[in-house]
Amino acid sequence: MMSPSAELEVLHVLERMPPDASGALVRERPDGTMAGALLIERGRVCWAMSERYPLRLTDILVAEQDTLSLHQINEVFAMCRRDHMPLGETLVARGLVSLPVLHRALLRHTCEALDCLVREDVPWSWIEHSGYGYHPMLTFSPAEVLAGVRAIASPTLAARALTRLRSLVRDGQRGFAVERSSSSKAPLAQVGCEGVDLVALADLAIQAEEVMAVAATIDIEISLAELAGLACASWAEDNVLFVLLCDGELAFNRLLAQVAAMKIPLP
Amino acid sequence: MTRLPEIASAVPDCVVAAWVDTRTGAVREQHVVQDEAFVAQALEAATEVMRSRERPPRMVLLSARHVYMFHRMISDPHRVLVVICARSANIGLAVALVRSFAAAEAAAA
Repeated sequence: MMSPSAELEVLHVLERMPPDASGALVRERPDGTMAGALLIERGRVCWAMSERYPLRLTDILVAEQDTLSLHQINEVFAMCRRDHMPLGETLVARGLVSLPVLHRALLRHTCEALDCLVREDVPWSWIEHSGYGYHPMLTFSPAEVLAGVRAIASPTLAARALTRLRSLVRDGQRGFAVERSSSSKAPLAQVGCEGVDLVALADLAIQAEEVMAVAATIDIEISLAELAGLACASWAEDNVLFVLLCDGELAFNRLLAQVAAMKIPLP
Repeated sequence: MTRLPEIASAVPDCVVAAWVDTRTGAVREQHVVQDEAFVAQALEAATEVMRSRERPPRMVLLSARHVYMFHRMISDPHRVLVVICARSANIGLAVALVRSFAAAEAAAA
């Protein structure tokens, strides 16, 4: 299980990413060998690698899509290597994997490798790069990666939270969920928060948690707040704190109407 | 002279309207419509919720039976309007009325 310190380390790593920059955050050992790296393109995470992480992307793809054989993927892999073609895009172009499966597999590989990489006890260094040429749809925001890494520790809870969020988040809204007992407030799941600053998400979760704690004596179920045109609703379901965000005209009223009609499962 | 009785009579199913001081925790003024046992405790909790200056100036809390509406005055951030009403289908109306009242108070300050 992921420790809170590992979660915080992931958060710190993602905060180290220079905004809109391209390059690699590298962990190199004193003997000059590389423990791993996190590749970044225009402020988005493209790929993570760690010597400690045993799975290859091809392993995950075969596990995710049962119509794909290791033999097929190895053939495409060899061809891509020989002709300098991107593996993911080629697999999609040939109809061997769907874009959502590729996206999911890449995110899983990146998060699991990063989870291993943060456990190394060597310093990080930043190496600037002009860009790796990753398709933007196959790169990830810090919030997506943090939620992905967090989900490694609590996969069932994360899957349930994501399903619940998807059933709640409407057009023009965003939402995220955090595990209440976790000290890091890293999102367990998120919908539409890809572009939201990680510190802002954590601050919202901390604020919501504080209000729930202070207002516990009056049995508060749902809290709504308005911040400079942004409406925010939060509530707890078992050990998960949900936060819905909505901006624009009448955002507060729309969110109020939605959450007032919502049924919160009893613990 | 504040207009707490006015807002208390306008908000459907209003229990209490009050001005609280988040610095001292004191209820500066209140207009109780329904003298329910929980009013003192509810105002105390409301003051605690808004005590942190990091709290947004406008908040609504929902319990199974009540709606708690808070507005912090820009001119005096320690002064918070608290209106509590029974939870009913009129939540939107209650929230809009309290918002208008708070805006009028802020404009008059």
